[in-house]
Amino acid sequence: MADNVQLLTYSPSPHIKHPRTTRRIMIDVCIALIPAAVMGVVYFGLKALLLIALSVISAVLSEAVYLLIRGKKIDEIIKKFDFSSCVTGLLMGLTVGTNYPWYSVIFGAAFSVIVVKMLFGGTGKNVVNPAVTGRIFVFMSFQSVVGKWIAPSVGSLSGGAVETGATIIEGLMKGSLPSLSNLDLFLGTGLPGCIGETCKLALIVGGIYLAVRKVINPLYPVIYVGVAGLFSVALKGFDFNYFLPSVLSGGLIIGAIFMATDYTTTPDTFTGNVVYFVVLGLLTAGLREATDMEVTSFAILLMNLLVPLFDKFIISRPFGYKRAGKVKGGAQ
Amino acid sequence: MKTNVKKIAKDGLLSSNPTLKLVLGTCPTLALTTMAFNGIGMGLAVTFVLICSNVIISLLRKVIPDKVRIPAFVLIIATFVTIVRLALDYAMPELYESLGLYLPLIVVNCIILARAESFASKNGIFASACDGLFTGLGFTAALTLMGAFREILGSGKIFGFKLWNFSIDFFGSSAGAFFTYALFIAAFNALSNAVAKKKRAAEYKAAFAAELISDCCAEARPVECAACGDVKEGVKKAANGADKKASDGEKTETEIK
Repeated sequence: MADNVQLLTYSPSPHIKHPRTTRRIMIDVCIALIPAAVMGVVYFGLKALLLIALSVISAVLSEAVYLLIRGKKIDEIIKKFDFSSCVTGLLMGLTVGTNYPWYSVIFGAAFSVIVVKMLFGGTGKNVVNPAVTGRIFVFMSFQSVVGKWIAPSVGSLSGGAVETGATIIEGLMKGSLPSLSNLDLFLGTGLPGCIGETCKLALIVGGIYLAVRKVINPLYPVIYVGVAGLFSVALKGFDFNYFLPSVLSGGLIIGAIFMATDYTTTPDTFTGNVVYFVVLGLLTAGLREATDMEVTSFAILLMNLLVPLFDKFIISRPFGYKRAGKVKGGAQ
Repeated sequence: MKTNVKKIAKDGLLSSNPTLKLVLGTCPTLALTTMAFNGIGMGLAVTFVLICSNVIISLLRKVIPDKVRIPAFVLIIATFVTIVRLALDYAMPELYESLGLYLPLIVVNCIILARAESFASKNGIFASACDGLFTGLGFTAALTLMGAFREILGSGKIFGFKLWNFSIDFFGSSAGAFFTYALFIAAFNALSNAVAKKKRAAEYKAAFAAELISDCCAEARPVECAACGDVKEGVKKAANGADKKASDGEKTETEIK
């Protein structure tokens, strides 16, 4: 009799369990970000490593401190640690430049974890993406101190040089093609920018890993990047020379792969997601053209706030449901 | 009718603080709290207008017809705002510059119209003047605190004096204004909730203690007062015994008859 009791489990639904947990997905995202982080350290030196490490540590610590204040036990916090604050910290560290003061990432990581995530109810309850918002917080807070983006120590392959400070986007949107070749833009050599966003190759490798592990749907970033590039081309009078530079410069790739695809801040349905990423692409390219600045993070933040609207109006059709047709001739 | 100044003061400063509790006059609150000094200037200007308009509206409350009361109130308020503007422009041109558009906009400030509508048009002159003073001071205090918070974090200064060379520009921007406002409202609510909870606990304890005493000792005190169950049983037993005795007594009486 005792054996039979062991075979049966009594539990409320759901009864089907899947090995994919939040923790596993978040660890996958961390792994996918490692190539970008390594390339950032190679390009920008040990200061980049310091910034990334500080950012991750302060993100994890601020989550733990918040939970301790809320009266959770330490062993419970460690047991339920789901690595999402790790991802937030890593992304935060990758989206600052090496000339940012070291304390800026601490403020940014603490802001993104505590204010954006924990105050709204923790992992999966946040309204906007914590990493994007933290990045904007740091950008707004310390950009005036920092001033300009600095170029990596590895020079460009084609020999062209960008003077430190003038972002590629700024020049591009004002109508001059960059002096760097598309290969330089792709590899990030000689390209000033954030630690993690310069080497597109590493980011795409991470994106492919995520797609293979089925963490993200590869269609969505492709739609986003494609629409943003094509709309930039259209705004420049259908000059297709602008397509690759506008796609490969700035934070579009890292935003498309790692920030815009956050589960909590995208619509629920497939159709909703397609519409969402198309609108996001149009918004990014349009705002870039209007402001002559890199606005990927601002566009993602703005669209995150509209996700509830997408979920309200684009809902999946229940199986077997038919829309009530109009009666011809009217009801008389 | 006696004026309860203490209650008016408590209402204006804390329990219905215009900025932190009623969330009125948010436009100047968000725009002018970049510096603590701006907060004080704006707050005192509003306080002056509030006192004067409350007094005049209270004086005229029986004359103003009900249907046109809002235009009448606005006219009175606008008069005093004009006085404040001209006076500030003469006496403190720098503050006048930094308050800018928000000074004439006091005319349509919700706080002043709300106090005129809900208090001054129903109460006497002295009560209305007190209400204007304390509501205005509540507004000034909230604005000054928020201004100091944003000035220290946003530019590393307090009242224009440089404290250190560190600043988080976010708190100086308009997004930071909304964030600071939310933080202050949350902190204020948390504080007032904690105070209310403590008060309730004290009241409950007092009431509970009184009840215990009445439960225990109103009846004849039982022999052992160790635990409540014992007490009640003891009381019950005593009552039963009394009943029994009474019935016994009756019986004996009838028997005697």
